[in-house]
Amino acid sequence: MENNNPLSPHIQIYRWHISSLVSISHRITGVINIIAITIICVWVASLLLGETSYEFTKVFLQSIFGKFIILGLTWSFSFQILSEIRHLIMDLGYGFELKTTKITGLAVIIGSFILTILIYLLGK
Amino acid sequence: MVQINLPENSKVQKGQYYKDTTGSKNIRKVNIYRWDPSTGQNPRVDTYEVDMDNCPSKVLDVLNKIKNEIDPSLAYRRSCAHGVCGSCAMNMDGKNGLACTKPHSEIKGDINIYPLPHLKVKKDLIGDLSGFFKQYESIEPWLKTNTKVETTEIIQSKKDREKLDGAYECIMCACCSTSCPSYWWNGDKYLGPAVLLQAYRWIVDSRDDERKERLKKVADELKLYRCHTIMNCTNACPKGLNPAKAIAELKKMLATS
Repeated sequence: MENNNPLSPHIQIYRWHISSLVSISHRITGVINIIAITIICVWVASLLLGETSYEFTKVFLQSIFGKFIILGLTWSFSFQILSEIRHLIMDLGYGFELKTTKITGLAVIIGSFILTILIYLLGK
Repeated sequence: MVQINLPENSKVQKGQYYKDTTGSKNIRKVNIYRWDPSTGQNPRVDTYEVDMDNCPSKVLDVLNKIKNEIDPSLAYRRSCAHGVCGSCAMNMDGKNGLACTKPHSEIKGDINIYPLPHLKVKKDLIGDLSGFFKQYESIEPWLKTNTKVETTEIIQSKKDREKLDGAYECIMCACCSTSCPSYWWNGDKYLGPAVLLQAYRWIVDSRDDERKERLKKVADELKLYRCHTIMNCTNACPKGLNPAKAIAELKKMLATS
């Protein structure tokens, strides 16, 4: 007999905390990064088509919207790198105490913004 | 499969409002998930005004007060009221825990009470945990030893005994497993934190002779590796245990064996 009872609410009601936020952001930035890398590859390949197609991307990236995208991607790569380091350390069996996960999670979030600013200043 | 939205028959509707009749000045609103299998209607959230001047300190006391004084039709599991049996596990204020050990003073604003997440509801706050216990059975949570002598005790060193600390205290309340998003999306295959913690408990037991077989059985893409260290489990555990760490240890054992 199929169970037609209702399913109790889950993600709709569950409270977020730092570790779960970092975990879901890690996934989202991972997907974004894969798309970004593909687009970067297309951009590089467009060099082969000559100057005009390169000019097009250059104009696009120098527009405000383009700059916003670049900064956004810088953040998503920074976040991914730091969060991945956190996960690698956890895979070694360290940092599982609730307090530690909170601290490392916060460090990832704050660190990702600091890294974004550093990369921005370096590339300026 | 990941299904973010609730199915049509599970959408929660606004329920009844029970106004306070005691005339107390110290009133708190308590929102409780209700579902009655006999009506065929969707679940709803009822709101109760509770007189907090005459209510002991825990969330379970609030529920008892509602059941005894306001609405006897409210259904929930409870037994020991001392955080030992694990019956009154539920979702309070967006976090799983035991109603008998959770002080309502820790909750700000209205008190929201739901059943444990992503379970088939049997009635009101009672979720169906049969799948959960079937998985527990699947790891064969009993001692397996090759020693023929059954009349003498199997000696364990203090150091070996210490390995079980943080694992044997588990009361199987299912707070951790039902807090885990991976368990929500893959609960039919992924064993979930509570069962994996118990798998770990038998694997590290020095008296058990089937360590290798146990490890091999748990080493599965879906059974074990769906854990992505989201840490909801450790966050939810009312006994302060760390299932996430036990799962990491299992992964480590498999990587190094």
